[in-house]
Order: sequence, then C-alpha cells, then structure tokens
Amino acid sequence: MALPLRYSFRNVLIRWRSTFATVLGIALVVFVFVLLQSLAAGIEKSSGNTGDPRNIMIVRKGSTAESASLISRENLREIQYFEEIARNDRGEPIISADVLVLVNLPRSDGSGEANVLLRGVSPRGVELRPQVRLVAGRWFTPGKREIVVSSRMANRFANFGIGQSFKAGTANFIVVGWLDGGGSAFDSECWMDADECRSVFERDLYSSFLVRPVDESAATKFLERIEADRRFKLKAEKEVEYYRKQTMTAAPIKWLGGFLAIMMSVGAVFAAMNTMYASIGARTREIGTLRVLGFRRRSVVLALLIEGALLALIGGIVGCGVAYLWNGYTTATMGFETFSEIVFEFTVTPRLMAEGLIFAVLVGLLGSFLPSVRASRLPVIAALKSV
Amino acid sequence: MTTIGFIARNALRNKRRFILSVSSVAMSLFLLVTLQVALRELTNPINDEGSTLRIIVRNKVSLAQPLPARQLATIERIPGVAAVTPFSYFGGLYKGDEKFTSFAQFAVDPVRANELLSDAKVPAEQMKAWVADRTSAVVGKMTAERYKLKIGDRMQFTGQIYPCDLEFKIAGIYEGTADDRNVFFHHKYLDESLGNPGTVGTWWVKAASAEEATLITDRINKAFANTSAEVRAETERAFQLGFVSMWANIKILIGGISVVVVFALLLVTVSTMSMAIRERFRELAVLKALGFRRRELFAFILAESFGLATLGAVFGAGGAWCLYRVLDMQTLSSGMFVMFEVTPQMMALAFSIAAVLGLLSAAAPMIGVARTSVVQGLKTLD
Repeated sequence: MALPLRYSFRNVLIRWRSTFATVLGIALVVFVFVLLQSLAAGIEKSSGNTGDPRNIMIVRKGSTAESASLISRENLREIQYFEEIARNDRGEPIISADVLVLVNLPRSDGSGEANVLLRGVSPRGVELRPQVRLVAGRWFTPGKREIVVSSRMANRFANFGIGQSFKAGTANFIVVGWLDGGGSAFDSECWMDADECRSVFERDLYSSFLVRPVDESAATKFLERIEADRRFKLKAEKEVEYYRKQTMTAAPIKWLGGFLAIMMSVGAVFAAMNTMYASIGARTREIGTLRVLGFRRRSVVLALLIEGALLALIGGIVGCGVAYLWNGYTTATMGFETFSEIVFEFTVTPRLMAEGLIFAVLVGLLGSFLPSVRASRLPVIAALKSV
Repeated sequence: MTTIGFIARNALRNKRRFILSVSSVAMSLFLLVTLQVALRELTNPINDEGSTLRIIVRNKVSLAQPLPARQLATIERIPGVAAVTPFSYFGGLYKGDEKFTSFAQFAVDPVRANELLSDAKVPAEQMKAWVADRTSAVVGKMTAERYKLKIGDRMQFTGQIYPCDLEFKIAGIYEGTADDRNVFFHHKYLDESLGNPGTVGTWWVKAASAEEATLITDRINKAFANTSAEVRAETERAFQLGFVSMWANIKILIGGISVVVVFALLLVTVSTMSMAIRERFRELAVLKALGFRRRELFAFILAESFGLATLGAVFGAGGAWCLYRVLDMQTLSSGMFVMFEVTPQMMALAFSIAAVLGLLSAAAPMIGVARTSVVQGLKTLD
C-alpha cells in the first residue's frame, strides 16, 4: 500500500525551515539555466522572426553573412529584368540592391565602441520589408545624408536621438527617424539611402539583393535559375530561410547555460542529499512506526522520493518565476555572423520553463534517492528505539 | 585528546554529511573559478612580448572597411615607425567544409612582417622558402598539429569576406607567439586573386620603442585626418579591448552568475553548519556544564565550519587549477579559449570567499549556542 501523497506534501511544508536553503539553492540553479537559455531563445526568436516568406535573398556564394557579401552592379542589371520578379504599380521590378556597412560608433554610456550594421536601402527595399515600421520622425530623403536608426538601439549609442548627428567615415549623418523591426533582426540595423551609402563609404559593389517573385512557382523557378546560371556566383534562398540560419551567436550561450546548469546541479544534488539525510535522520522513529504499521519498503522509498521531488519542484517554480521577470527585457551582444551589435530580448518560452521544472525534479529525485533507500533499510526495531 | 583532534572528530562524526558539504562547497568554488577564467579569457586579451610595440591601424569607419594601399608610403615616413606591413584578415573556411574555422589567416608582406612578429620563431631556411614562393604560407604549430600538417602540404580556403578561394603550400611552421594558431601568407597573392583592388585590411606598425607607441598612434591618426580614408591607430592592447567592449552585456551576465553561484554556496553551507550544530546542542551544553567557556565553544564551531569551507576551497579551486593545467582547453573548445589559466588572484578570491563563508556559516549556530542556557541545552532532545 502506498503512503498517501499528503504525507510527502505535509512533510515538505512542516520542515520548511530546514529545507529552505535547499529549495532556494535549487531555485538558483533553475534560474541560471532558464535565464541563459532564454538569451539563446531570444537570439533564435529574433532571427526566426525576420523576413517575408515571399521574398528571396541573394548573396555571394561562399559568404555566410549578408554583411560579408559583395555583388557587382552588372549582376543587378541582368537579374532585375528576370520575368519571375513581380512589378509594382509603376511597372518597376520589385528588387532592392542593398549595401551593408559596419560602422564603429561610441556607446552612449561612454563604455567604449561597438560595430553597428548600417543598411543602405532603396525605396523598394523598404516596401519589401513590411515588418519594419517608422515609430518616430520620418524616413530618410534619398540623396541626403540622413539616417533612420533602430529605436531599440537609440539609447545604447551616442547621438542616436532624432535631430542629433554623428560622424561616420567622411560624412556627418543626421538622425531623422527611429525604426522598429517588430522583434526581428532589423532591430539591430540603421537604414539610409543606398546610393548615398555607397558614395560615402566608397562601395562599388552591393552586398545583397532582395527580390519579390510574382508567385510561389515563379519563386521556385527564380531560385533554380540563379543556381543554374554559371554567370552568377550567387546564392539565392528564401529570406526567412537565410535569417533562420543566423543563430551562430546563440550556440555558445546555450553551451554555457548547459554547462553551468550541470555543474550547479551537481552541487544542488549534494545539498538536497544533505537535507534529505538530515530530515530522514530526524524522523527515524516515525519511519520505523510506518514500517510497523505495515507500509512496505518501497512505499517508504516512494513517499520520500516524492517528498524530494516536491521540494525541488517548489525550488524550480521559484527559479522559473524569477527568471520570467526578465522576459522581454532587451539586451545586446556582438553577433558572430554580422560582427555587429545585435539587439534581442530575453525570451522565456513555456518550453524552457518546462525544461527548468523537469531539471529541478530530477535534481530532487537524485538527491533523495540514496537517503530514501537508506531509510527503508533501517531495521524496524532499531528505528523504533532511536531517540 | 587534543583540541584539534576534538574538532576533527566532531567534524567527521557524520562522514556522509561532511563529504557532501565539502563537495558542494568544492563544486561551487570550482564553478566560480571556471567562470572567472572564462571571463578573463573573454575580456583580457592575451599578450606576448611584441605586443607593447605593435600598433594596429584600421579604417576609422570600422574594421570591415578597407584602407587604400597607398597609405604605406606615408606611414613609413612617420618618425618612430620601425616597421609596417599590410595585415588583412582573410577569414576563409578551411577546406570549405568546416562550419567555422578555428584559426585565422592573415595576408601580410613576409619580409616586413618578419620584423613585426618577432615572437614567432621560424627556421631560417623555411623563412627563405616562404619569402620566395608567393603562394606559400607559414602555419602556427598548434594548427599544424591539429590538422596533422607538414611542410609541403597544401591548404585550401573558401573566402567568406573576400570573393575568392585560395590555396597555399606550407613553407614553414612557426611557434613562440601567445597564440600559435594563425596562418600567414603573401598579401600579393591575395591582391592578385582579387584583381589588384589596391586595398588592405589593416596596417600593423612596429614602434621603435614602447614609450613612443602612443605618440606614434597620434602621429598616424593626424597624418590621415581629413583624407578620404581616415584611420584609427591604436596599440594592440587598446585594439583588443575594443573587441571586449563589443561583448556588451554578456560580461555583466557572467559576472552576475558568479554572484549567484557564490550566494547559492553560502546558503548550502550555512544550512549544513546549522544542521550539524543543532544536532549536538545537548553536547555543547554538557561541555558548558563541564566548565568550557563560551568563547571556547565558539572556537570549536568556528574552526569546524572554517575547516570545512577551506577544505572545499582546496578541492574546488585547487581542482580547477590542476584540471585546467592538464586539460587542453583549446582543442576542447575548438579554439574559443586559448589560455584558460587560473591566476593567483582567482585562487585568492576563491579562498577568501571560503574564509568568509566559514565565518558566516558559523555565525548562526554561535548565536544559538550563546543564547541557550546550560539547562535549556541539556533539555533539548534533538
């Protein structure tokens, strides 16, 4: 016969003073785990959230990132008249040739400098990326040295306020607006006129083309055509696919999170074992009584395991709860692909929370296994006699 | 029985608890040291002998923006400049099939670079062979060992930043720099493959003396002020710290986690210590009744918790120290960490934390003992 669940449950509650430290310790382990994984999830979410499924992105073959890609103007002249490309109501092909420039700019808090991704974009490029909205000010005027910066970067870099200006290369740029990428990779970019960008930074070549095909079948045909044409050393793929792969930065964070979680959990298992041994030691007599009453060894083990798991679960819930406070908080680091500052949010997904809780329960079970086996093996008479 | 024997016996009376407590302290301190090492690796760039003299000149816009090759003549004429070489990061994928290459390839001028990379030791005949063959390269010892490369082998790279693929013949293998992983090859080879664009990635300059280094950076910066390609010249150290600044919030995060680890550690040890003392309240009362003074009892408790924490530190921090000496972290982390060295400061930090821990975790039981009268203590059944 199994011991009632209430037995395990009430034991956890009654001994809260002695188990408090263990619960908190497990909470901290889960907190660190969930928090770090939420960073990685944030980077993945931001990449996964970028692009329009209808668009096709073209970069140079061999370049892993748009910012490291170079495409000639001849290629633009040839590709833009492909009949697979849709046309707007003025009859122009919907293709945007962008230039990406890394600009080293000072941080607003004076703690050094960081690279910012500057995108020289044509009017077509703005139309092709409907998820980018203007939240303040106005768009840049083509042919002028005006710039629209990401609103999420505005407080991270010096002189990013509307009306302010900063120097990059030989030119002074006036900030005329703030854009919002809706939680996409565009939140880490600043936009300006493509031709102006090319002339200021002396770029003869483009970085990438973004194309809107007429329909789904045209898209497939377009992809095949770029791939098959020997004249182009280009790689074409769906824009969403391209961004989905830009998650290299998340890998070391994930690794760090996993490593820390494992190491810390070993410490937490030791702590949980200590607590459970002590808690069982204190009620040797009680356990003896249970055995006399006819409860089997395995019932005792089970009840104590449940007790340990419950204990850890409380810790896990606390840890997840505290980590959830960070959910949506914007942070930034250097992106490995673009070599520039990427802005993203801590993203505590339900999946991560579940993982954290499972993790906690495992720690609890591991920590209480040996103590509970020991308790069940106590000779009944000796246990009853113990003070 | 001596006092020390008494304390040791007391600490070991519940061996299981003792081992578990020491292990959890050790584990946490091990983690703390590991985090500190990783943080240092990320924020404190490695330096070698030559780095005090080296100045790196990049485009003011950013590192990714090239510089015109014609700047060479101007830099050479600047007083205090002992040597200068073009230095371009090629950033190719080795064999094209690796997802990311753990070593860098730099295009340099072999004759000029020889002055600058004085730490790198290359046998004279290998050096001669490298200078003579435009498509050859010298490879760091670590990389050569990792991929089992020898002189005469060929290496293929797919360009990621530059639109060209390159193949080198290995002319020599160097060692002696802080990071013997890189590949150096002829800048002319890169220029030819690109159709001579007349640009370089950066300039590396050697200052005549370390004292003059900052002066020279100023001179270089001024020499190109208000030209179409303004430069940013900085010492190698400042240049590397620029990278650190880009890590942004990640630094704070690792620091924060270290604090959390220490805090968790504190909790666990405090709870264990109070558990251990609570268990023998009665004994302590007996000792009191026998005439032991309060401060002697305090000393017993303190010595025990202090000993436990220190032992944890010995295993944790000492273990980390031994482990990272033996372990080849460079291969394990596929090149992300190079040195992974536990410094004396970190050991000191770990041991001071252990000491504070010993004090703090003794505090609660000591207060308990002080508050309880002999009679009360004797009455406890726990």
